[in-house]
Amino acid sequence: MLKKKIISLDRSTNVDIFIKRPDKYREIENFSLNTDNLITMGGCNSYTPASFKRNNLSLLFTKFDRIINFDKMNKTITVEAGIKLSNLLNFTLKENLWLPQIPGYPSITLGGAVAANTHGKSSDTHGTIRNQIKSILIFHKTHGWMNLSDKENKSIFDLTIGGFGLTGTIVNVELELIEITGCNFTTTVEKVTSAKDAIEKLNKRDLTNLFSYTWNKTYNKKRFGEGLIFNNKINENEKNLPIDKMQFKNKNLDRHFALNLWNKFSIKFFQNLYYNYFTIYKNKNNNDNFENVLFPYAGKESYFRMYGKKGFIESQLLVPLNKVDIFLDELEHLVNTHEPDIVLFSIKKIVGKELFLRFENTGVCFTFDFSKNKKNLNFLDKLDILCIKYRLKPSIIKDSRLDSSTIKKCYNDFENFKKDLSDFDNKNIYRSELSDRIGI
Amino acid sequence: MNYLIVGASSGLGRDLAYTLSENLHDLVLISRDKRDLDAMKSDLENKYKTKVNSYVVDLASKDSVISFLDYNEIKLSKIDGVLFPIGMMSENDSITQIKDGVDQITNANFLSIVKFLEKIIPIFKEKQKGTIVGFGSIASSLGREKNMIYSASKRALNSYFESLSATFITSNINIQFYILGYLDTNLAFDKKLILPKASTEQLAKKIFKNMDKNNIKEYYPGWWGLISYFISLIPFFIIKKLFKFIK
Repeated sequence: MLKKKIISLDRSTNVDIFIKRPDKYREIENFSLNTDNLITMGGCNSYTPASFKRNNLSLLFTKFDRIINFDKMNKTITVEAGIKLSNLLNFTLKENLWLPQIPGYPSITLGGAVAANTHGKSSDTHGTIRNQIKSILIFHKTHGWMNLSDKENKSIFDLTIGGFGLTGTIVNVELELIEITGCNFTTTVEKVTSAKDAIEKLNKRDLTNLFSYTWNKTYNKKRFGEGLIFNNKINENEKNLPIDKMQFKNKNLDRHFALNLWNKFSIKFFQNLYYNYFTIYKNKNNNDNFENVLFPYAGKESYFRMYGKKGFIESQLLVPLNKVDIFLDELEHLVNTHEPDIVLFSIKKIVGKELFLRFENTGVCFTFDFSKNKKNLNFLDKLDILCIKYRLKPSIIKDSRLDSSTIKKCYNDFENFKKDLSDFDNKNIYRSELSDRIGI
Repeated sequence: MNYLIVGASSGLGRDLAYTLSENLHDLVLISRDKRDLDAMKSDLENKYKTKVNSYVVDLASKDSVISFLDYNEIKLSKIDGVLFPIGMMSENDSITQIKDGVDQITNANFLSIVKFLEKIIPIFKEKQKGTIVGFGSIASSLGREKNMIYSASKRALNSYFESLSATFITSNINIQFYILGYLDTNLAFDKKLILPKASTEQLAKKIFKNMDKNNIKEYYPGWWGLISYFISLIPFFIIKKLFKFIK
């Protein structure tokens, strides 16, 4: 069996794994049955090591990328879980349909998106991908083939969505698609004077905008969170034009620069450059294409490489609406005290319901990117304390630092998830570095 | 045009199906597992709007092949070309371990193809045209301790296609034979190989481009032809020494 060195995208974990790539249904069965522990791997684009574990088997699922059924009338599609989200959209957009809960990189697979219960930029309208899932077919080493839906094996269906692939291999997924009237966007950029101002503007956003999210500066103590709010709406003038097939080159995401290029000077320089580009150079209203809006990281992989060999940490926090003000006050105080180097800071709203380990609730989603150094790690420890204090949800799929104790205190359903999973699979057959770290 | 792909559900067969469908050809797909065939049929029909028929046949079983051929003569009569991207290997393919597997490997890699062509060639003769594409392996260049039945079957297939070329040299029936080196298929995915694996997608495109040409015998990737040529020049007494050295 092929042993391969693999590194997580955030560069937190570097291990040897065994890897097999089934391309026939019987191979899913054979490969799974002939090993003790395994996990399924899609695009391997998670920041954290969710699709592999040291010396364990990863089933690379990229050959399972076919459309099993498409019902245009009822707007449903059944697709194999290894399909890249960009390829899924290439098909559905031709039919004026789409899946809105799309994370920011095109080679992320549908199975990965289901296992992480992803949300997209329209998270305040469409919530997480859970809302589009009608049914799932999984293969489990001991339970065999299982159909999961609200009507069949509901408890396992619930465990599987946002279950990090621990209930078995997600083989195909039936999705309910949503109509989309055009594939080109008009982007409006507006200034915000602080993080609180950003949230106020997000609350009052024009509902004809499909996406609204912010980008905030981080180095200015006096005006913490000053920045921009981006609103994307369908371009009415180019409404009915069919989309060109999106083509993305395979980028080697595990490359990095020799040194970490993000420090307080470069952060200040790039943040000013970005801010001035949008406030001075660019028009207030711009036309944008689908790829640029949906997949902002595609073609900008250097952003990750600039963190150097040690990599980066992304902390994504879900703050309930009634705690946003107090959280921002405490955050500002923490930032002023510890002066972390925050490379990226962004805010968007999200709707949903809490269950198990899903990063889902109704509230505001804050995203911060950091380089890995003592000062930033110390700040992140303080942020964890804040999460525990206000019971905020830190995203498990984004942050490789999070340990079991923090997650237990932030996720009300942690023990329920663990128990239900153990009732289903008491041998913990499906395991990853992530599941080991958080103690499942 | 209407093409039959025998061994269609994975590797090169799968890429051939996509290349032909993308170019709006209808397909008849044959493979062992209904689940794989159903997934391919649905995907091809949804993406390219071509017509795809699929049949479950176990190519390692003589009975399964004969039964399919006996009951589907009418469907075969509509075929304009046939491709055999089949390759069955076994971990136990060595003199001491092979036992019951000999028939299966020989059937899948050689005899089933002969059986198919017994039925298809008269149809092509009657139409006075058709394309037959077979696939050999670089493994057949030299006898070996592992994969011995596989390499022997592929050598037999090579000889059989040479005979087909000789038979149809002046006719409109195109005989094509590709001798394949390492390809990026599941047979090679988890193996550490000294030489690089070639893309099955690129090969499928090349085969499609060559579809109207007669009497093709090519190595893919091309440099395997050079390696094979040098192997053929080595006298057997040196090969014997090489075998001893490897042992």
